[in-house]
Amino acid sequence: MSTLVWELAPVRRRMLLAWAGAIVLGAAAFQLAAYAARTLPARPPFEELAYYPSGQALRPATLGHAETAADLAWLRAVQYYGEHRRSDLRFLQLEHVFDVLTSLAPGFESPYVFGAFALAQEGRDFEAAERLLRKGIERNPASGRLAFELGFLHYVRPGGRDLHAAAEWFERSTHLPGHPPTAARFAAFARQHSGNLLVALALWNQVRETTDNRFLRDIAEREVLRIQEAIATGRREHAVRRLTTPQVLLLPQ
Amino acid sequence: MNALLIAHNTFREAVRDRVLAGLVVAGFALLALTRIASPLAMGEDLRLTVDLGLSGITWLGMIVVLMVGSSLVAKEIDRRTIFNLLSRPLPRSVYLFGKWAGLAGALSLVALVLAAALGAVVLLMGHAEYLPSIAQAAYLACLELAVVTSLAVLFSALSTPVLSALYTLGLFLAGQWCEDLRRFATQAPEGLRTLLETVANLLPNLPLFDIRTIAAGAQTTSPEHLALATVYAALYSGCVLLLGSAAFESRDFK
Amino acid sequence: MAVRTVGLTKEYRHPWTMKVTPGLTDVSFEVRRGEIFGYLGPNGAGKTTTLKILTGLLKPTRGRAWMLGTPVEEVSSRRRLGFLPEQPYFYDYLNGVEYLEFVARLSGLGGREAGEAARRWLGRVGLGDRARLVLRKYSKGMLQRLGLAAAMVHEPELLILDEPMSGLDPFGRRDVRDLILEQNERGATVMLSSHILPDVEALCDRVAIVLRGRLERTATVGELVEGGTPRIELRVAGTPVVELPATLQGVLERRTSGGDTVFTLHDPARQQEAIAWLVAQRLEIRSVTPVRGTLEDLFMAAAEGAAIHASVERRSA
Repeated sequence: MSTLVWELAPVRRRMLLAWAGAIVLGAAAFQLAAYAARTLPARPPFEELAYYPSGQALRPATLGHAETAADLAWLRAVQYYGEHRRSDLRFLQLEHVFDVLTSLAPGFESPYVFGAFALAQEGRDFEAAERLLRKGIERNPASGRLAFELGFLHYVRPGGRDLHAAAEWFERSTHLPGHPPTAARFAAFARQHSGNLLVALALWNQVRETTDNRFLRDIAEREVLRIQEAIATGRREHAVRRLTTPQVLLLPQ
Repeated sequence: MNALLIAHNTFREAVRDRVLAGLVVAGFALLALTRIASPLAMGEDLRLTVDLGLSGITWLGMIVVLMVGSSLVAKEIDRRTIFNLLSRPLPRSVYLFGKWAGLAGALSLVALVLAAALGAVVLLMGHAEYLPSIAQAAYLACLELAVVTSLAVLFSALSTPVLSALYTLGLFLAGQWCEDLRRFATQAPEGLRTLLETVANLLPNLPLFDIRTIAAGAQTTSPEHLALATVYAALYSGCVLLLGSAAFESRDFK
Repeated sequence: MAVRTVGLTKEYRHPWTMKVTPGLTDVSFEVRRGEIFGYLGPNGAGKTTTLKILTGLLKPTRGRAWMLGTPVEEVSSRRRLGFLPEQPYFYDYLNGVEYLEFVARLSGLGGREAGEAARRWLGRVGLGDRARLVLRKYSKGMLQRLGLAAAMVHEPELLILDEPMSGLDPFGRRDVRDLILEQNERGATVMLSSHILPDVEALCDRVAIVLRGRLERTATVGELVEGGTPRIELRVAGTPVVELPATLQGVLERRTSGGDTVFTLHDPARQQEAIAWLVAQRLEIRSVTPVRGTLEDLFMAAAEGAAIHASVERRSA
């Protein structure tokens, strides 16, 4: 066989050898690609198509730079929030914005947190807030931070806090990496299930002290002031009621 | 060795051409921009810097591949500088390989410079834990650029610079969708599934070189992944360059 | 044999119409070692095509060729070759020394050897004082000189030069002539194609004439020229108005040159008759000069012959 090849005209011979080499290397590369697809750990999971179609469609369009696109979407989301906070307090697109953002980068935790609180406190949409955080927990089941935040969300829910759920989530977070050191304590407090404003105050204070997010800090400030005022003026009932009965705050802040 | 000579000459040409310097400047400007935009990021500025920095390396590198790589051989044929080379005892396959190595080398240099700058910025922000992931991401970006460069050299040897750039860009985009194709294939009926999987394996598997998602969280990937990616890049580039050699052998230079 | 071709044919097939255009047809010649061989022909005759086939840039449709005993399809056939392409171009960003060193190493010289040869040859072609100048800034003449240096830097056994004198002034052409002769004395075989016929006449031992893709004639310059028609030129002062005598019609031509009139007699045997007639016309004869046939004549004759040949072919087709 090899003598046959050598008898060919030199150009033909070189071409044949090049083709042969290309096929060999190409086949090897082909097999390796299939092997890599099977064995390497899967990258952060996608949405189910039925659940959040817009995020799913967007991801291929980012051409492998979903994380960067998510960062830019984060900037945009923050900007959106800021604009509407200043102007009309209508956050109609808020859920969609955060949904897209978290679909692009499911491992990016801050949008779940900020989004949930913005939706709950400002957007008055607790269900959306909970959905968002649950999505985050589903995508990041090992995240102590997100579990804690969901507990927090349940604890301070305007109009109907769920102490039972809060305690559960606080406790769960203590078993996962990344939870705040105070999680166990808060779990205990929630178990005591009293209208414990001091606990709520402590939770909000923690946010105010530790976050870099200016807007989240503002939300926390407002809650702290409100609770402090309620305690000072003895209008505890008002504050408690606000926490336990569905009520829409009439005064703009 | 002749391949090294060609590679060195190509490298020298690329470096002396202002394009590469311009790209490094653009990369620095991008980093500066991320720092300026940091207050807007609400505490996520580190993530933003790392993501944009790493994405920038690949995107800027791709621009060079499209601008320089796609005319790499075509320009030499057009301006007839290639006559001075191929009339010497230089096999055409060695010539192509040398052109590829030179440009891939120049791009790797740019990638490393930009990665070092990114590392310096991140270090100044006090987050040294990101350095290993940045280094890994930069290395994989070099491999990715080497693969795309081989495609650019192939098309450049067969076609005009404009068409060559279009084909290269097309395969680059298609390569990004390998994973999506595979995912789609799992939901497809039997015959179509095999076809889609085959196409996905034939396309350059560019997502293999992408660890930007985990690098954003300062995580690193396994040595197995790095080794796999290196071997794959070598095999795929080699295959493409040999295809180019086969086609180039029969080419007449009027 | 330094170069040998047998039945070299190159046809171009249009990719869509499938029409075949002949480039070279059945070209066979030999270049002996140590000689300077001229390859002549008008534009489009196929000179460059032949040279490109020899240097591996084109593939022949049919026929075979060897350089220094090795078939031209083998890469190794170019190991001892120095080639100057028509209108050479180079890399913009390199300077003269860098470029020569690069090509010298490609042709097999070692690192330091290449550097020394590069500097030496740059000086040899008169570019030594501008060693650091980038090639982007070279003039056409400078590029031509650099191309020559690139062809010779590795002291090849065979030099193939396509239009080596192009773009050079008379001084430059003289330098190139000297260079070629020098290389030939060193033992190199030279094959050159040129339009500048006086240079070819002065340099070449043998010459081949190519027309329309075919090899018309191969002979020594001496043979070709001796076979050419000798003439006598009679230079006469002023521009008199005279009618050519009937007896000398057909062998006597006139043209003006400077302020004089030159009568060309194509039949040297009738010299006395012509002179007598001029004297009878009371014309002042300035000079009587025998002129040997030049290569130019041969060229034209061969071209004419080929045209006749072609028209005969057309008529019979």
